[in-house]
Amino acid sequence: MDRLKESLLILLLVVFLQSCVMLAKSKDYYPFDTSGLDKLIAGKSTAAEVTEVLGAPSTIVKLSRGNAYIYKHSLTKGTGLWLVLVTFGNYDKHKDQIVIFFDKNDVMTHYGVTLDAHKAAYGLPF
Amino acid sequence: MASPFRILSFLMYVFIVGNLLTGCVSYRLIRGTEGRPIPPVSEECQVGKTTLQETLETLGAPDQVAELEGKDVLIYRRSLLAQSGLSFGIPLADIWISSFDISAYGRLVRYDLLLLFFTPDGILSELVIEKGSQHPYLKTILSDKKGD
Repeated sequence: MDRLKESLLILLLVVFLQSCVMLAKSKDYYPFDTSGLDKLIAGKSTAAEVTEVLGAPSTIVKLSRGNAYIYKHSLTKGTGLWLVLVTFGNYDKHKDQIVIFFDKNDVMTHYGVTLDAHKAAYGLPF
Repeated sequence: MASPFRILSFLMYVFIVGNLLTGCVSYRLIRGTEGRPIPPVSEECQVGKTTLQETLETLGAPDQVAELEGKDVLIYRRSLLAQSGLSFGIPLADIWISSFDISAYGRLVRYDLLLLFFTPDGILSELVIEKGSQHPYLKTILSDKKGD
């Protein structure tokens, strides 16, 4: 019985002495301030006014009747757990994104906002 | 009270067993998600009726925007990575010419996609949904069939 307890103790020590945990965080693009969105009015605000409020877009896409400016910021959180025989890894990536549509005269027609970057979370893969 | 020699021997034993185990068998499991779940669109999006403005208000900013044959496409996407690997090896390099090692790895990225096509007037003209996450990991990765 003592031998069994000793073996179990060894096994537990092997697991915990050689295990390792890793937490990582990664960001893409600088977070943008959405408070200025209230100043933008569809059918009136121009591309110049939009860039004055939000800065330079991350991407510009040409569309059928104008352009779309895309502002993005993403946050990734990663978790790693190394045990003796098994390795677990997980990452979760969410983003804040604003897409602003302009007509051919560079006047804003619509915009869509998604603010999800804060939802990125650490965790295990099960 | 245990002697220091006995404690030292015990710790060395733990170290050797641990290293032998880690050198022989290992299993790896990695999961990753990018983006939010694709929202249900059955009621919110109606072809020929729903406008671009309504869609942006309901679903938020798309992950990607593109122009395709005169239509504007909003793409909402979520990707799910699943990766696993099992490795078995016997580290013999110090006493033999080479070591024995056998490994099996699998990596699968599945995509949930929602594509919304809008006319230049901003009316929804077509809607495509693909739920890649519904495909089971093992069945998909082991299958040779197209579409699985």
